[in-house]
Amino acid sequence: MKLIEALNIVQSQQAESPRRLRLFLACGFTPLHLQTFVRANLRVRLPNVLSEIRTGVFGDLIGSIEHLEPSEADALVVTLEWSDFDPRLGIRRLGGWRPQQLSEISVSAEAAAARLQHAIEAVSHHTTTILSLPTLPLPPAFATRPLQNSQHELQLCRIVAQLAESLSGCPGIRLLSSQRLAEISAPAARYDIRADLNTGFPYTLGHASAMGELIAGLVENRPPLKGLITDLDDTLWSGILGENGLDGVSWNLDDHSQMHGVYQQFVSSLAAAGVLVGVASKNDSGLVEQAFERPDLLLAKEDVFPFEVHWSSKAESIRRILNTWNIAADAAVFIDDSPAEVAEVQAAFPEMTCRVFPGNDTPSIWALLHELRDLFGKSVVTEEDLLRLHSIRSAGSWRKESGALQVPSDDFLRSAEARISFNCSRTGDARAFELVNKTNQFNLNSKRYSDSEWRQFLADPSAFRLTAAYEDKFGALGKIAVLLGTKRGDHVHVQTWVMSCRAFSRRIEHQCLRFLFVELGANRISFEYVPTPRNGPILDFLKSVTGPSLESPVSLTKELFCAEAPQLFHQVEVSVNA
Amino acid sequence: MLDQEERLLRCFSSVFPALTQEEIENATAEAVGVWDSLSTVTLAAVIQEEFNLEIDPDALSNLNSYEAFRNYLFTR
Repeated sequence: MKLIEALNIVQSQQAESPRRLRLFLACGFTPLHLQTFVRANLRVRLPNVLSEIRTGVFGDLIGSIEHLEPSEADALVVTLEWSDFDPRLGIRRLGGWRPQQLSEISVSAEAAAARLQHAIEAVSHHTTTILSLPTLPLPPAFATRPLQNSQHELQLCRIVAQLAESLSGCPGIRLLSSQRLAEISAPAARYDIRADLNTGFPYTLGHASAMGELIAGLVENRPPLKGLITDLDDTLWSGILGENGLDGVSWNLDDHSQMHGVYQQFVSSLAAAGVLVGVASKNDSGLVEQAFERPDLLLAKEDVFPFEVHWSSKAESIRRILNTWNIAADAAVFIDDSPAEVAEVQAAFPEMTCRVFPGNDTPSIWALLHELRDLFGKSVVTEEDLLRLHSIRSAGSWRKESGALQVPSDDFLRSAEARISFNCSRTGDARAFELVNKTNQFNLNSKRYSDSEWRQFLADPSAFRLTAAYEDKFGALGKIAVLLGTKRGDHVHVQTWVMSCRAFSRRIEHQCLRFLFVELGANRISFEYVPTPRNGPILDFLKSVTGPSLESPVSLTKELFCAEAPQLFHQVEVSVNA
Repeated sequence: MLDQEERLLRCFSSVFPALTQEEIENATAEAVGVWDSLSTVTLAAVIQEEFNLEIDPDALSNLNSYEAFRNYLFTR
């Protein structure tokens, strides 16, 4: 993006927006055009969000971070450069580069890193933090030739790497990838020494543009897609199973089909991170079953569900897989080597990401894997991510055993041996956050939260977060319900309530209310219900417990609930964190 | 030249979006309230990128009007 485009985007008219995004940009240099590029990229990514950027005190990056109050910003962006570790590593401050002074610089850089770590960690507890490590070259301060690394240089690199590694484990921190940055901003073309001296802004416009693009991407933190549907012949492996036979398909160097093996291990890694993987293949199902028994296959058959292997249309297979997963088409990717099959599926599901597997075009396969990583990548892999596939299989068994009834009988529910674990807390929870921000059907009002809004809500002493994890004899569903509310006296106000659709028909929602009445001591519960085009299931539930004519504001007394609630058969465990 | 003039107008317009073309053509740092040192630096950066040239930092302090930028660009 050129600066003139960025300025025009920033100044273009924006519809009245209810959502503001307040960024605090902490950098040791004059933020100048970096601000413009960040705002322009945010406008492109989040057109309905009004972003405001504040900056800290020029030359005091660490102090700016240390003084940031929780209420001041929704996200903190920290762009570190070498001069933030010691001013002598920039050219605006003269302090000497003699060997003795280089040793002092290493010591002071170590101290600055410790102070930075402490300050950034502290802020990340209440404010989402985006961090970029030094992007500009070190000055020619070292005794070695530029083609040879010096000990001092490596010490500085170690200090930065240790800082990054420590901070990468903090849930509220997102580190900008140096590798991705190098792909779009060549290291040798980043530093504008004239601008650094004249204005205090050290980035070339190209580099500032690249930084703006990546920072905005990290602020946006787009949710990952959920499912990958792959073809088999000439995609997961090279060759046609029906024609070449079990031993005729390959994924190895000798047969020049190694990239199919790379694709297999990539898909396997997605499955291990909770991405749903399904197969849609026009093939002989018996042969496919045997192929998945081959010990050298890098994708285990247990990682794939469901298999749609038959001779019907691909679009029909995709529809069935999406139904099994219960996800929308825009949350899935379809990959097939046949352009005709891809076109057919794309026509049937225009919102789905469909890609042709690029045959023997190795660089294109490599690029496809990078694109898939971008679509499916997530900051944290939660316990529930690892349970997801098992949970979908369990839900399938439940439907089968309960006779696909909308309302299972008491006898069936009693025999399910269901256990619910409630956790009531004011701390963050990655799975709860994810569930609230993606659930549509059983959702009180579809209110979505930013990281900072979530943390700020829980900072209220009267607030609580209730999560429910469910398990029965068919298997575990993991954390499937989240409720955010406040309790004042014997009145509980529910601001947010979501439940995964996989958990319907198990009376878990009744058990949640029972928890509020019995465990939390509520006498009256009010609900912040707002109708949306998709939250019919929660409306039906609220009517079932409060009466058919839903009054606004929606509320429920303990007396009414106890009189109307159906019998509950779950074994309940409760844990409460301060 | 006309095309170059239009490009220069577009550069000014991106930094001073509230000004009309006529106001831009007559703009001076003194007369335009929002024209501060930051605007000059931004203008210089936009123009350098748009015209693929380097503006001499010593010349920057004299580039305090549309006319001055125009002369700097087109009569060098």
